[in-house]
Amino acid sequence: MAPPARQFSLLSLLILLAAASSAVGVGEEEFTEELLLRPLPDRKVLAHFHFRSSAPPAAAAGRHHHLFPKAISQLVRNFHISELELSFTQGRWNYDQWGGYDPMSTNSAKPPGVELWAIFDIPFTEINATWKNLTHTLSGLFCASINFLESSTAFSAPRWGFKLNPGNLRYGALPREAVCTENLTPWLKLLPCRDKAGIASLLYRPSIYKGYYHSQKLKLTSSRSGGIILDQTLTVVLQPESFSGKQLHSTDGQLHPSWSMEHLFNKRLSGKCLVSKSSRIFVEIEKGIVDKSGSEILWDNEVFVLSTTPDRVLKEIDHMEVQSSSLYEYDVSNYNDEKPLDVGITWKRPRIWSCTPPPYHASRFLMGGGNERGSIALSFLSTNLQKHLFSGSNDCLRKAVVFQVVPWYVKVYYHSLEIFIDGSRKDISEVLDKIHVTPSEDKLSPGTLEMLLRFPCSMQSATLTLDFDKGFLHIDEYPPDANQGFDIPSALISFPEFNSSRTYPGTDPFFVSPLLEDFKEDGVVKSYTEVLLVPLTTPDFSMPYNVITFTCTVLALYFGSLLNALRRRIGEEESELKKTAAKRGLIPLLLAKLRGKKIDKSNSGSSPASPSGSKLLLKVVFVAIVAVVFHYLSNS
Amino acid sequence: MAFGRRHRGPSLPALPFLLQTLSLLVLLAFSSSAAAPTAASPAAMHNNNWAVLVCTSRFWFNYRHMANTLSLYRTVKRLGIPDERIILMLADDMACNPRNNYPAQVFNNENHQLNLYGDNVEVDYRGYEVTVENFLRVLTGRHESAVPRSKRLLSDEGSHILLYMTGHGGDEFLKFQDNEELQSHDLADAVKQMKEKHRFKELLIMVDTCQAATLFSQLHSPGVLAIGSSMKGENSYSHHLDSDIGVSVVDRFTFYTLAFFEKLNMYSNASLNSLFTSYNPSMLLSTAYYRMDLYERALNEVPVTNFFGSVMKTIHTDSAYTGFLAAHDTETPLSINHGMLQNEASSRRSNMEEMKEAQLRSHGWTEILQEQLEGKKTEIVVMYGLGTMGILLAISTWLSM
Repeated sequence: MAPPARQFSLLSLLILLAAASSAVGVGEEEFTEELLLRPLPDRKVLAHFHFRSSAPPAAAAGRHHHLFPKAISQLVRNFHISELELSFTQGRWNYDQWGGYDPMSTNSAKPPGVELWAIFDIPFTEINATWKNLTHTLSGLFCASINFLESSTAFSAPRWGFKLNPGNLRYGALPREAVCTENLTPWLKLLPCRDKAGIASLLYRPSIYKGYYHSQKLKLTSSRSGGIILDQTLTVVLQPESFSGKQLHSTDGQLHPSWSMEHLFNKRLSGKCLVSKSSRIFVEIEKGIVDKSGSEILWDNEVFVLSTTPDRVLKEIDHMEVQSSSLYEYDVSNYNDEKPLDVGITWKRPRIWSCTPPPYHASRFLMGGGNERGSIALSFLSTNLQKHLFSGSNDCLRKAVVFQVVPWYVKVYYHSLEIFIDGSRKDISEVLDKIHVTPSEDKLSPGTLEMLLRFPCSMQSATLTLDFDKGFLHIDEYPPDANQGFDIPSALISFPEFNSSRTYPGTDPFFVSPLLEDFKEDGVVKSYTEVLLVPLTTPDFSMPYNVITFTCTVLALYFGSLLNALRRRIGEEESELKKTAAKRGLIPLLLAKLRGKKIDKSNSGSSPASPSGSKLLLKVVFVAIVAVVFHYLSNS
Repeated sequence: MAFGRRHRGPSLPALPFLLQTLSLLVLLAFSSSAAAPTAASPAAMHNNNWAVLVCTSRFWFNYRHMANTLSLYRTVKRLGIPDERIILMLADDMACNPRNNYPAQVFNNENHQLNLYGDNVEVDYRGYEVTVENFLRVLTGRHESAVPRSKRLLSDEGSHILLYMTGHGGDEFLKFQDNEELQSHDLADAVKQMKEKHRFKELLIMVDTCQAATLFSQLHSPGVLAIGSSMKGENSYSHHLDSDIGVSVVDRFTFYTLAFFEKLNMYSNASLNSLFTSYNPSMLLSTAYYRMDLYERALNEVPVTNFFGSVMKTIHTDSAYTGFLAAHDTETPLSINHGMLQNEASSRRSNMEEMKEAQLRSHGWTEILQEQLEGKKTEIVVMYGLGTMGILLAISTWLSM
């Protein structure tokens, strides 16, 4: 499509890598902090925090760390991790409104709950055991139940659907994991200044967790030559309260709400984290906003005005060599307690613009009813992006990769795959290019589906359906809130022919910004689908208890009355009553025994009492002897 | 038992060791009677504090149980127990619950003055992890090897442990997640195991549930003190409703416990007795129950910070690291001060001898028994004993005929 652009980006990447490696080669640990703010078309604001800590190769520095968190370096060393990504997300990324074709959605849009994947640098046979230990360690480190991923029913080993690998990648997701302050706190403790100074001090918990979307990510890359690079990002979508007091729909000709950092985070920024190498804030303004005003470089134009003069303005150029937005940069080191930084935007005119959506809008839903079976449908709706991008012929093909993990209790029949394109059923071989299925095993492993599809460019909509049966769990395996249903983790759809990388011409080679570096990386456009909620048949959990109590009552009544009827001897009872009537004390009894039993005998008048009494005595003596012998034998 | 760490308490110091220390003391007069405390007190000293705080209820309407637990968490942290010695178990996520109007905040009072969730909460077990199994594993220390340290109760024989539980309870049980139950027998067994494994010195169990007192009925291990919010047949009630949050935010028993602790700081000397007497049945709408028959110390002498804080008794020693010093000095020749301090040394020696005698006297009865048993075989004695028992049994049956 655009080979020179790709070459250029590759070259710049190489130069950058070289620069990075030379910087790391010195053996210095580095820390950078950055924040990107971007107004969104639906009156919300995106804030993307990026912190990078890097450590030189272990051999150079030994085991001591200056800035780099020790917990992470131990993790990497103990588990031989070459890559790891852990994300905690609440809410769903809105691909249509917030963008689906830019590095932000590719890198920072994550499925709800926890997602963890890791690539290990150890023999394949040891990977599963290492993964288990890793999940436990991470659960301790981040106060989350990541250890539920240890069970073999929870993780899978995709080969190419998620990320191309020779078999050393493990992937697991917990869609229902709660994300809250307790996960953020340990994440912040990995930063050298924690949340006490620098950009991280803006993380005011109530406002962050009030947002529409919140994703906290930790990415580790480790190599023998490059050392360890730890990227921590936090992406939040917030709703600024508009000054006018009314929140209206974005299509109205109303002014967007003006906001500032103090407004969003309850705080102004008073200086950087002192140990950070660079500390920057970017405000990204989409091209759609500034396009018509013509003077896009100006920070004070007829559409909006930024509250502070930016230190620099960067142009962002997308993969197709079209300017997508401009970045206004602020260097936090120029600000301090006396002169705090409060970046904000004030709108002068109403503006309507939109972010670029992904090439296909992917969504997933359930079909069928009842507790026995159903089917999963995956639908693709063309956003007609390629008509804008590639105004070529309509007889081309577009690739899409689907990666999906299904828990074992949803028993998918993979042979039942059906594909409908624009409403008409197609032969599978026409669309399906490559498929890799790992069927689920009951209580052992989940099912994994990896598919490479080819859609005709002219296609408007496609639907894939798969039938499944609902399985039964053991009564102990149901969670406490089983009635709520069970989650099927998000499927990942990637479009390998679409690249979301960005370039920034006009920056000097000494300008190092890890945030923009991330955006420059070759990124395949990805989107996650919704989490599916499958209701399973749940037993009546109180039933075993009811059965036990009822059965026991019936049995007790039956046996009690039976025993009573069998055991009862009315004649003896009467004599017993007489005896108790003539009851005497212990000492008279003893005296009577010593004198002789004649009185007793004459009193009772029944002779069989004495032989039975001596029998009992014999029995008791026998038991005592047995006990003595047993004790002697067992001791000697 | 395979997981348990065996601790050999310094309860029975070997005689040669005692003699050795004695001779060393004669040589090194400046080393004080540091060996005395270990010889005199058979049990380990209280040297660390742990807290296990458990909220066992799931679902939004049980908000108050999480608020209870977090209030206690805040209190023990304020009184000095560090986060790594607190095991916090929360059965559900209330702070970031979609129903919570105040995201990332939890309040235990409708005045909303105090955000319990703060910025620095470390939850060790949460959500589906809060099960009876995990709870018992924490207490008894039987974990899988992969479980990280932050999820373990790494206490020892010098630990004072506070175990706080809140949720829905009944006669001799406590519900976990509305799904399974912890019975009083389970709790008593776990405590017994802990005692056997020297996992605590003293344990304070505080339970805020309905019929909380019944949960303690099976406890038998010494050193355990228990407080429950209500007697058998009584309910424990919530304190007040927060109309902004929409649910009750705190239980009465916990509310008045906190009211007591809010007045205190790390240095206050309030005793457990004053805590126990502070509960007013007419305010609680239930009768707080204390079980103290297993606890040896007088409650008015035990400061609350022994359990709810991390305040240690400081024992002044003249020289630190006596053990190391002694080990080194056996090789070194006599010190220079030897002559100078000989007088003092002799007086010390007489002191030590007196003490040793006292030691022997206290073990007099054991000594006699030992002597009696020395010549004979133990099996024979046992056999005689059994024989006598048999005879006694025979006589009694004969009598009852």
